[in-house]
Amino acid sequence: MAAQPKVLPIEQPSYLEGGPISWLNTVDHKKVAMMYGIASLLFMAIGGIEAMLIRVQLFYPNNHLISAAFYNQLFTMHGTTMIFLVVMPLLLGFFANFLIPLMIGARDVAFPRLNALSFWIFLFGGIFLHLGIIWPNGGLPNAGWFGYANLTERMYTPGLHIDFWDIGLIILGVSTVMTALNFLTTIVAMRAPGMTYMRMPLFVWSMLVTVILVLLAFPALTVGLLFLFLDRFFGAHFYQAMDGATPILWQHLFWLFGHPEVYIMALPAFGIVSELLPNFARKPLFGYPMMVYSMILIAFLSYGVWGHHMFATGMGPVADSAFSITSMLIAIPTGIKIFSWIATVWGGSLRMTTAMYFGLAFILEFTMGGLSGIMHASPPVDLQQTDSYFVVAHFHYVLFGGTMFAILGGFYYWWPKMTGRLLDERLGKLEFWLTVIGFNGTFFPMHFLGEWGMPRRIYTYAPNMGWTFLNQFETVCAFILGFAFLIFYINIIKTFFSDERALGDPWDGRGLEWATSSPPPPYNFGNIPNVRGRDAHWITKYGRAGSRGIAMYASGQIPKPVPEAAPTEAIHMPAPSFFPLVIAAGLFVMGLGWIQLWYRLVAIGAGAMFLGVVGMAFEYPTFGQENAESEEHSRSVGADVRKVGLWSFIGSECLFFATLISTFVVYKARNPHPPGAEILEIPLTSFSTFILLMSSVLMVLALNAIQRDDKRWNRIWLIGCALFGLIFLGVEIHEFYGFWMKGMAYQTNLFSQCFYTLVGTHGTHVAIGVIWILVLVVASFTGKLDKSRALSVELAGLYWHFVDIVWVIIFTLVYLMQQVKGA
Amino acid sequence: MMRDLKTRLLAMVAFAIMVAGCGGEDAAHPMSTLAPRSDLANWINGLFMEITAWDLLILVIVIVAFTLAVFFFSTRVGEAGPPTAVSSDLTLEIVWTLGPALILLFISIPTVRLIFRTQPRKPVANELPITVVAHQWWWEFHYDDGSGAVTANELHIPAERPIHLKLVSNDVIHSFWVPRLGGKRDVVPGQVNEIHLISTIPGEYYGQCAEFCGVSHANMRFRIFVDKPDDFAMWEKSQTQPGAVPAEATAAMRGAQVFANSPCTTCHTINGISKGYVGPNLTHLASRTTIAAGVLANDPAQLTQWIEHPDEMKPGARMPDFGLRGAELNDLVAYLESLK
Repeated sequence: MAAQPKVLPIEQPSYLEGGPISWLNTVDHKKVAMMYGIASLLFMAIGGIEAMLIRVQLFYPNNHLISAAFYNQLFTMHGTTMIFLVVMPLLLGFFANFLIPLMIGARDVAFPRLNALSFWIFLFGGIFLHLGIIWPNGGLPNAGWFGYANLTERMYTPGLHIDFWDIGLIILGVSTVMTALNFLTTIVAMRAPGMTYMRMPLFVWSMLVTVILVLLAFPALTVGLLFLFLDRFFGAHFYQAMDGATPILWQHLFWLFGHPEVYIMALPAFGIVSELLPNFARKPLFGYPMMVYSMILIAFLSYGVWGHHMFATGMGPVADSAFSITSMLIAIPTGIKIFSWIATVWGGSLRMTTAMYFGLAFILEFTMGGLSGIMHASPPVDLQQTDSYFVVAHFHYVLFGGTMFAILGGFYYWWPKMTGRLLDERLGKLEFWLTVIGFNGTFFPMHFLGEWGMPRRIYTYAPNMGWTFLNQFETVCAFILGFAFLIFYINIIKTFFSDERALGDPWDGRGLEWATSSPPPPYNFGNIPNVRGRDAHWITKYGRAGSRGIAMYASGQIPKPVPEAAPTEAIHMPAPSFFPLVIAAGLFVMGLGWIQLWYRLVAIGAGAMFLGVVGMAFEYPTFGQENAESEEHSRSVGADVRKVGLWSFIGSECLFFATLISTFVVYKARNPHPPGAEILEIPLTSFSTFILLMSSVLMVLALNAIQRDDKRWNRIWLIGCALFGLIFLGVEIHEFYGFWMKGMAYQTNLFSQCFYTLVGTHGTHVAIGVIWILVLVVASFTGKLDKSRALSVELAGLYWHFVDIVWVIIFTLVYLMQQVKGA
Repeated sequence: MMRDLKTRLLAMVAFAIMVAGCGGEDAAHPMSTLAPRSDLANWINGLFMEITAWDLLILVIVIVAFTLAVFFFSTRVGEAGPPTAVSSDLTLEIVWTLGPALILLFISIPTVRLIFRTQPRKPVANELPITVVAHQWWWEFHYDDGSGAVTANELHIPAERPIHLKLVSNDVIHSFWVPRLGGKRDVVPGQVNEIHLISTIPGEYYGQCAEFCGVSHANMRFRIFVDKPDDFAMWEKSQTQPGAVPAEATAAMRGAQVFANSPCTTCHTINGISKGYVGPNLTHLASRTTIAAGVLANDPAQLTQWIEHPDEMKPGARMPDFGLRGAELNDLVAYLESLK
């Protein structure tokens, strides 16, 4: 029995209501966000304890309290946890998830079930990373959060440490990419009427830019982790220094992801601060357009600077200079932001809450991090600073002084909206001052330790280096910082027992999120608001934005009461679903299977995932429907959310294949001995290419048929298309088998492993496409596919055409250009 | 000219603050990058000071603007005086775009010049080529000037002569870093990286691996001795001699027998006795001040401990404990310590 989308009664007051089951199968973005928040806070406690242990170990020189092996696991997990399990999920999963729909006047995100799926995969991924500690013969990951090859190869790090890390990060990457395309679609397609791009709150802008960064950056990491997986499990040698391969490939892939990642963690923080400061200064944000453009510019530049993490690897003077200049350029838009924040405060009527304290402190702490960043944008200087404590100081000023201060400010600002309860301001101020003292005391001296030659990631040091005193001072301050976080946790927990209720709009806020009650009802808004300008809620309260609105406030005018209008129509909300939990559990089980090479477990996990996905497709009475509202809510671009979502996914896939193809092209030229490209049979592959292209034609015919409501021909063309896809796959298998018979196994040489990986990955995409089309055929036979669901065929077609286009590129680069030397 | 002067002035101010703040004197901080002892380290430090000066300038501007905005040119909620609600100002925005851009231009020009200056394409006249081989977790040095000298963890170089280090790795990525003699360079398996430097001041300088390379990354230390040219020539000559042969009927002589019959010979070379390439060459072990990659002092007590419990002294050490104890071990240590 398929679940029915239910109509919620309007008097339901808070999204928080409902028993434990309602959390397990929820698709409400606010419940999902709260689960993200709680999980991240727990992971943050673990990451914080790891940091404390690191500081305890460094208190004395030649300290033997913590073993070298365990220390390496501690700093690896501290970095991995804070980045992937704390900062990103707090920013994206918690704040953005909760706030984007509220800020743009939507009822939920574009794909509520996908959102729940992201969360469950994140939670399982986070647990997976830590499993090594209880696993027989396990152990936590131990090669650093950056996991530089070739140390991560099985030859140098045997055991399961890196396996947990590699597979765990792949799992987490899946979650993050799904979140990103969900939010991108939400922001593009689901804004309330009147919410134009240049009226969006800056936090929403920051998330729009961030999720585009995620979509375009994570594929590089995924490919990097895939290569590592193939090296460790299938005897490939993408990162071994042999046979023409080089471990530096990992660094390129990792930092191609890793530097945009820095902005994935920084831009949302910019967004949070850009909300805090105007609100508590009671002034519009200074230079809104410049703030938007500078963020876009930072995002754009962030793809051209990855090499500044690699100055010491010997890239040569030309590359050094180029990466140096692009890195320095980022300081310009960043400077614009810092001065604009100060100008926002300038002339304001400040309300000095804890949130404002954190927002203001953010400006100064982040500036510190930015300035030390300029230093190591200069390669000669970087050669002294990289991999020393100077860099540790730098990125903690950016990620803690910047991002974490913004996150803490965000908690004090939006927690009342999320729970209906204010955080204690007195505890908050105490926490703030302890944080400032503890943070600066811990990390400022690290600049000096770095300049005095203390390398990073050392579990012990000699007593005669002059590093002892500052290390001891830092450890003491780190405990002050830890105490500050203890107060933070107490403050959070206290609100659960407090009777003091926050109003809907406790701070006299500016954005739409304050237009609804605290905590918001499950459907967010009784009626979708009409947006008349930036700071939409402020305009409703005080009239038009700008000086006039503020003057009215200052002269004592009481804000217009905002009547909570009764909904004028029934509100349809997506029905809860258990499938996200099932799919995520399947992925988790699959990962465990790989760890021990229990292929049966892998198959069980994959089966659960497959059934979950198919179950989701048929969950609603109408096949392939995302939620009851999707059509109604596509108002801001006039395209269905699923189409926007799929296009975003294809954009991300482009980067995925671009990374694979680039690796192939570079490594093919370095292949030391045959067999190489001369083994390829162009006539055979030309045939299969022709078949694949023809299948695209059949797909067009199928779509045309369903749009005419011609179910019979639609079915025939779809079956034909799937058949052609199967022929293509058959030829590919025949081709692979032939190569194998000629002695080109997967591990034979650099060419063979790159060829099989690239072409095989594409083949997997074709196989998924065939399954997708077959699901449509099944839907057609059960009578669920008619003209009204033509979009389902169109989407499958989009994916199918994309996969075909990728094949045209692969066919050209891999097969046709085989004679070109060095290509 | 004016810019040069201004830069120098700024650099001096910055330096004064740095010195006041940290007191980078030699003895207190033997690995300080702020006390450079080579041309390379000097240039880098100069550029660092220059950028620091610009950074301080920006920091002061931001702090002043921040202080004015928060404490002087704003009111508190409830206080009199309406807030001025300026939400954009084109002139200001142009100023704070172009200002930093100009500063970056001032930083990038000397940066690019120094990049090319420190990475010469052609060999330098009269240079001393040395191959540095990084191992998990120790350093091996080959003198490529025809002398054939090989040593481990303690590199001797002559003062006032261009040194050309060629860095290769035997296993994973390491990084060669002697802060007072210049910036680090990664040692990447499968490629040869280079460092060019001239040191003018004789002395003992500490170095350490700076790229995480596995369990004993923290214990991968080394030293560079910058010798007066004559001292260096003598040292290099002594290193090319065969291993010392102990006198008959001494502990050292019995130790030589222990060594020759032990599994030590599979990994360690002592010229005339064994050829092993996994561990450091021991032919002139006693001429070094430290053992175990700069972690232990080279004296009989620590050498004994090291042979007895390598894994305790240095986690993950590749050298196993072969169970040598008692008289055998004492003789072996006596022999090793005689290898001047």
